[in-house]
Amino acid sequence: MTETNALTVLTAGPMLSVALTLGAFIAAQWLFSRFRKPLWMPPVLIAAVLLAVVVAISGLGFDRYYNGAAWLTVLLGPTTVALGVPLYQQMHHIRALWKPIVMTLPLAATLAAVYALGIAWLMGATPLVLASLAPKSVTAPIAMGIAEQVGGSVSLTLGALLITGVLASLFVDWMARWLKIKDDRIIGFALGLNGHAIGTARAFEISPMAGAFASLGMGLTGVFTALILPLIWSLG
Amino acid sequence: MLRGFLVLVVFFLLGEALRVMAGLPVSGGVLGMIMVTFTLMLRGKVSDELAEASRGLISVLVLLITPGVVGVFFIVDQFTGYWTTVVVALVVGTLLSVFTTLVLMKKAAGTAEDGGDHD
Repeated sequence: MTETNALTVLTAGPMLSVALTLGAFIAAQWLFSRFRKPLWMPPVLIAAVLLAVVVAISGLGFDRYYNGAAWLTVLLGPTTVALGVPLYQQMHHIRALWKPIVMTLPLAATLAAVYALGIAWLMGATPLVLASLAPKSVTAPIAMGIAEQVGGSVSLTLGALLITGVLASLFVDWMARWLKIKDDRIIGFALGLNGHAIGTARAFEISPMAGAFASLGMGLTGVFTALILPLIWSLG
Repeated sequence: MLRGFLVLVVFFLLGEALRVMAGLPVSGGVLGMIMVTFTLMLRGKVSDELAEASRGLISVLVLLITPGVVGVFFIVDQFTGYWTTVVVALVVGTLLSVFTTLVLMKKAAGTAEDGGDHD
């Protein structure tokens, strides 16, 4: 009885969610370096697993947790703006690579959507699922808008988006190693293009240069997909 | 630090205002990011305050996206009936698109640098 009362009091404000998130973040960083930085388990995944377990078994529930954590996630807006600063600081590197970026972006951003759509279509997915998967490589606020425009389910899109972000962070690390790519500019760009904010966060762990290229990849993919996808959808 | 944070929040609000007024399908944050980049390019320098605030926020970017990632573990029931399709499409699709991006960029960057880059 007292326990439920304590939970009611603590969950009345956002601070429990904030404390849990901060705690999980710090624990994840510690575990990550403790296990000698495993590529298959980035800090964001460790923190999310820890939080999911706590949120599920404590009876807090995801909705209450997420409402409280909104005090943190509201900062994603100004943080996205903040990505413009390293983008400016690394501009000389970006200028040096502008041709490959312009050549790669339209095709790579289109294929990021087309591959998944093609596979889902072959497996007999419904139009709702297809429309929800289409903006999967785009940063969350843009993707939600696209999903609505093409008639998808926003919550399914968000789920697809988060899974894609985590997968892209893992796959870019593996693939870059396999293809013997050591250029932080290419790795960063691939992270931002395929893995939006989650990939960009991963890129900043590699280096500020990778982070700047990830911000660029994320921003360009977001703008490109937002303009092109609803257009293609209306034709199809 | 605070002055830098204010700049970022103001640019976010400007981005949101532009999005709504111009009816753009792009988010206010991304528009703000583009505006900050162009403003800094025009000014040709970035203040210490702004650089510090931006570094601070970016260093906690992982923290800020974590609550959303937690949601992945709680949406499984929404995928009922087609979760195999969704998971296969996402895993294979992302694998292929990451591969394509890396190969395209490597090829394109290689050609650009072979062509002589004097920057």
